Amino acid sequence: MNLLRRRGIAFKLSLWVLGGVTLVIAIILTLNYNVTRRLMVEKIEENAFNLAQATANRINSLLKAAEKIPAGVALTIAELDPNDTELKTLLANRLEQNPELFGIAAAFALKPDATDKLKLYSRYYVRSYDRLKESPINYDYRFHDWYQIPKVIDKPLWSEPYFGESGGIVMTSYSTPFYRQKLGTKEFAGIVCVDLSLNWLRNVVSSLKIGETGYAFLITRNGTFVTHPDLDLVMNETIFSVAEARGNPKIREIGRSMIAGEKGFTAFTGLTNNQKYWMAYTPLPANGWSLGVLFPQNELMADIHNLTKNMLGLGLGGFFLIMLVILLVSGKITKPLRALAKSADAIASGNLETAIPTLKTEDEVGRLALSFAGMQQALKEYIKNLTETTAAKERIESELNIAREIQMGILPKIFPAFPNLPEFNLYATIKPAREVGGDLYDFFMIDDQHLCFTVGDVSGKGVPAALFMAITQTLIKTRISRSSTTTLHQVNNDLARDNPSMMFVTLFLGIFNIVTGELEYCNGGHNPPYRLTPGKSEPVQELPTTDGIALGVMDDFAFTAKSITLAPGEALFVFSDGVTEAMNQRDELFTEARLEKILAPLAKQPVREISDQVMQEIEIFADNTPQSDDITILTIRYIGKKRNNDEQTTSKTSPPPCQG
Amino acid sequence: MEIKEFKRKDETLVATLSGRMDAMTSTGFTDQMGVWTETGLKSFIIDCSALDYISSAGLRAILVTAKKIKTINGSLQLAALQENVHNVFSISGFDKIIPITATLDDALNQ
Repeated sequence: MNLLRRRGIAFKLSLWVLGGVTLVIAIILTLNYNVTRRLMVEKIEENAFNLAQATANRINSLLKAAEKIPAGVALTIAELDPNDTELKTLLANRLEQNPELFGIAAAFALKPDATDKLKLYSRYYVRSYDRLKESPINYDYRFHDWYQIPKVIDKPLWSEPYFGESGGIVMTSYSTPFYRQKLGTKEFAGIVCVDLSLNWLRNVVSSLKIGETGYAFLITRNGTFVTHPDLDLVMNETIFSVAEARGNPKIREIGRSMIAGEKGFTAFTGLTNNQKYWMAYTPLPANGWSLGVLFPQNELMADIHNLTKNMLGLGLGGFFLIMLVILLVSGKITKPLRALAKSADAIASGNLETAIPTLKTEDEVGRLALSFAGMQQALKEYIKNLTETTAAKERIESELNIAREIQMGILPKIFPAFPNLPEFNLYATIKPAREVGGDLYDFFMIDDQHLCFTVGDVSGKGVPAALFMAITQTLIKTRISRSSTTTLHQVNNDLARDNPSMMFVTLFLGIFNIVTGELEYCNGGHNPPYRLTPGKSEPVQELPTTDGIALGVMDDFAFTAKSITLAPGEALFVFSDGVTEAMNQRDELFTEARLEKILAPLAKQPVREISDQVMQEIEIFADNTPQSDDITILTIRYIGKKRNNDEQTTSKTSPPPCQG
Repeated sequence: MEIKEFKRKDETLVATLSGRMDAMTSTGFTDQMGVWTETGLKSFIIDCSALDYISSAGLRAILVTAKKIKTINGSLQLAALQENVHNVFSISGFDKIIPITATLDDALNQ
């Protein structure tokens, strides 16, 4: 089928149509053959019966005519009781008058002669070279079939055929008993018998002309062949002996039906050859013989075969004619399709300028070509648009990237940030999302003793968020004072002014006294940071809220601040919601609970280590899920004046630490 | 995200907000609220019981709408917030600007 699939439409069309045509022709031929054959066989059956019947009638009437002669003689003998001379004259006359007879005999039962001795007495005349001749019966005929059987069954009878003793002629005899009246009772007196040469019978049967090779045959009551074209069978074989010799039970069956005096029509195999025949058979009522008439099948079927051959020829002619037409038509129809396919291939391989063949037709192919041309045009425009859009998008993206770089550039990134201030360690990091986000952080010394640090998150994404973030970052630096609430208040008012789109930023701002460890903080709607206390039973504590609000939405909001004092070693973990809202493949959030659990064992680690570990945990959790929001972490640890824990600070005598 | 009118009580329209409200979907909220205010409606209660998530852009959309409604002397109330959504409002402090009730009935009975 694969081979077929790759072929052209013309080929497939031809194949299917011609297949159909072949099927139709085959069906017509088969039907025609069968119907014609049936009709022919019916006709043959009728003809065969007619022929067989006519022939049987003819033979029968001859036999009937022959039967009358001995009947007449027997009557004469019975009534007139002729003497020897009279009997001889009677017999000779009858023989002379009936040329179909070969001989005529009168054989008496034991009859007293002149000396009153009981003696056999018979007279027999035969035809010999056109003359009559007496042929004495020199045997005791009383025990011969022709005499004995009619006597016993008390009625006339045709004998089985036999070779006449006087000249090698196959004969059959008709024996009629005659009687004498004695004391009022009928007494058997003898037999009158006529001999009938079977030569005439053979002539009658073989005169039947049945086609070129058809023939007829005659069998007796017990199946012996009386006439048959094969003379070896005649008188030598019975139909049963032949069936036996050929091992053909069908012939035996037919033979039985024939000798049973039935009529029939059947297929029949030639007895001396293997030719197929149709045979009709019918009995001769006179003597119970059966006549078979054989019609050669091949000869009769030759006509049908010729007819079929002619029709086959016609069919083949039609087939090739249709094939020619289909090839021409399908070639013509698919020619523009092929041209179209070629163009389409060229277009598919990238050459959009390929000309589409213009077709005059408005059929399916014409419409296809038109829509294809339309598609080509649309494709060209689409590609042009796509190219332009892509270029524009690339331009925007590159601009966004620059914006991103600038945005990231304003975040302090050098650590350790305050190598000269051993009182605290600080590390901050941001992992930007692919899309421009709005996270921010900052830290700077306000004076010798106070550090300001912030972490914030601008609502939304993209350039507006980046701009808003930059403004916020700048505003904080401008508005910074020792009071966190004042700073937030002013920044909030600056942002809220002319902010119709309600951009806002959540901001945590802490002012840390690096000497005392005191931390004043104000939370503008940002998620609360964690206070990390190493060694404590609950080392991770959320920072109490200051009940603030995100900046930029509501001007003149009265922020409040809170204060805590960090003990040396304690740390503050400030982060954006990019941490807790990081997502994995199943759309699950990282959550505060997870963060707290991770932070607990990290509480005493160096600040940079804490940051790195959390980032790593987020990465493992996200499992390649695209990051949708910036992730920001700022960690600050109070060291105090003494270097009394594991975190080394910079000094002139020790090398710079690797952590914050 | 999906916003649908749930019922009207007197002059107040009760709408249900469901799904995830973020930068991509929040314009649907803004647009629908715009359509309703155009028809003269001023008082709104939003049933947020089916709102699973709200991003900062979603917050912004609600703020913008609330501000618009304020200019026409109308009211916007949020009701029945899920815990995480409520957290977003409380952390950001916007629960100070937008009235929030624990249940829809609370909002209706006010």
